[in-house]
Amino acid sequence: MVIIGENIHVIARKVSTAIREKDAKVIQDLARAQADAGADYIDLNLGFCRKDPTIMGWAVNVVQNVVDLPLSMDTMNPLAMEEGLKVCKKRPLLNSASGKTDSKEQMLPLAKKYNCDVVISVINDKGMPAEGDSKLDSILDTVAYANELGIPNENIWADPIALPVSTAGEGQKNALATYEFVEMLTEALPGLKSTLGLSNVSNGAPMELRPLLNHVYLIMLARKGLYSSIHDALDKEIMDISKDRKQNLVDLVYRTWDGEEIDLSSLSQEEINYVKTAKVLSGEVLYSDAWLEG
Amino acid sequence: MEYTAPVEAHTGVVREETIGTGEKALKLGGENILPFHFFDEGSFPNAPTFALEILDMEPTDWAEHLVEPFKDVISDPVKWAKTCEEFGADAVSILLLSTDPAEVNSPPDQAAALVKKVVDSVSIPVLVHGSGDDKKDAEVLPKVAEVCHGKNLLIGPVLKENYEVVGRAILEHGHKAWAETPLDINLLKELNVKLCHFLPPERIVIDPESTAIGYGFEYSFTLMERVKQLGVIIKDSMTQMPMIANLGKEVWKTKQAKENKKQGLLFEAMTALGLLLAGANILVLRHPETLKLIKETIEER
Repeated sequence: MVIIGENIHVIARKVSTAIREKDAKVIQDLARAQADAGADYIDLNLGFCRKDPTIMGWAVNVVQNVVDLPLSMDTMNPLAMEEGLKVCKKRPLLNSASGKTDSKEQMLPLAKKYNCDVVISVINDKGMPAEGDSKLDSILDTVAYANELGIPNENIWADPIALPVSTAGEGQKNALATYEFVEMLTEALPGLKSTLGLSNVSNGAPMELRPLLNHVYLIMLARKGLYSSIHDALDKEIMDISKDRKQNLVDLVYRTWDGEEIDLSSLSQEEINYVKTAKVLSGEVLYSDAWLEG
Repeated sequence: MEYTAPVEAHTGVVREETIGTGEKALKLGGENILPFHFFDEGSFPNAPTFALEILDMEPTDWAEHLVEPFKDVISDPVKWAKTCEEFGADAVSILLLSTDPAEVNSPPDQAAALVKKVVDSVSIPVLVHGSGDDKKDAEVLPKVAEVCHGKNLLIGPVLKENYEVVGRAILEHGHKAWAETPLDINLLKELNVKLCHFLPPERIVIDPESTAIGYGFEYSFTLMERVKQLGVIIKDSMTQMPMIANLGKEVWKTKQAKENKKQGLLFEAMTALGLLLAGANILVLRHPETLKLIKETIEER
């Protein structure tokens, strides 16, 4: 699986301060740490870059001076995006465009102009499609638009959008829709890749339990053929999972998802937690913050 | 071709729970069909029941047409409770409003003594609802539980902020827990999971929070509907408890209900009917004429 390391993200105070003060070292340390951990892309999520769109160009140069990996540039500001695209040495990933009119008209032409890969999310002018089918319909529309601009399917990574599983039932339904989407995508749109911002699934869950939700969700999406994931590259366990090094846990999640009655008494605490979490993420058991206790 | 209506059969059963003691004790739950799905395979052994609500102090902001049926007894909670019984209520629910620090801030002992008097003077079961101030309730409700030891009252609100202290008193003194969460299925389940660490699940009644028509009713409706579906169809053990709809206080604070009597009665009855269809097992009303209206409606189904 292709891992896009999410750790350079303006939501982290350390990062936002470093960006504001142009403190290259903080950014470079984070980039190096993610590369060492096995990330395939380094994501640069700089927010909107309202004050200074050229900051993206600065960040790209700072990172590619120390790390020999392609970059994923994450901003909603097309001006900032172009500042980054101009200076990338390796073929980057434009993260992201969507089916919204603004995004189609401003971001997709950049992907064509710079011949880079581009993430397209299922969000469109009507909002966020809730079902697997409607997510796919939305992507079909936007991909058709991109194809007309001359962007081939092979350059496109589709993002079904992960939602917090803790949100009153909607999150669990959305998880099911993402599996369906990933599974249908390859057949519906040959050549397209899939990716998603994984950690959003655990937003709102108790902090110490968030990694567990991320891990199990990744295992389940991978089973459906997810090509890439944007996540915490410094979480050792999730990197092990994405590099196929946790086969016992993967098997356990698969068996749970297939409806097998698993005898918990023979399992370690970690394994029990994986089983219980798989039940939540497969929609079998209703989520609550106490899902491991029930 | 002849049409045959599909018949569903579910294996999840809502726990059957008893409130109160003696002949007029109430049984709640026990069904393994969705609300009023009498065409499906399964049973609904205990029809929904209705409590009338009283306060532990004379209300100051009630509409005249809501006070009217109780006008001679409203300053005396014991007489008021008896009147509710005479009006045909299946239970009486006492709201301990005066204990609220923002109201009279009356002490736990006084509240407990009053509840005891009410319990001793009616033969129908009694439900006890604190002011909702989680800290004050943590003092008041355990005291009520202790003083009414063994009376099998439904006591709440048991909240995520005070479930340990209130829940343990309920356990120790032989009552049922009125577990309340603010309109959220995940929080509702979490509270039940935590309560069940020490309290048997068959001693919990779920209050998902009721809302009046026009005031976010859809949220209450869909939430109750989901709780019931999860319990009966999906068999989620932590949602297989009976549900209470505490709607009287929500309805009667609206402008529409206060405006005139007919409107108020219809507002309360339509809200109650909606929540019945969503799956409520016991409903708390305020006006005796609503009680009559809704009972007639059910009988004529």
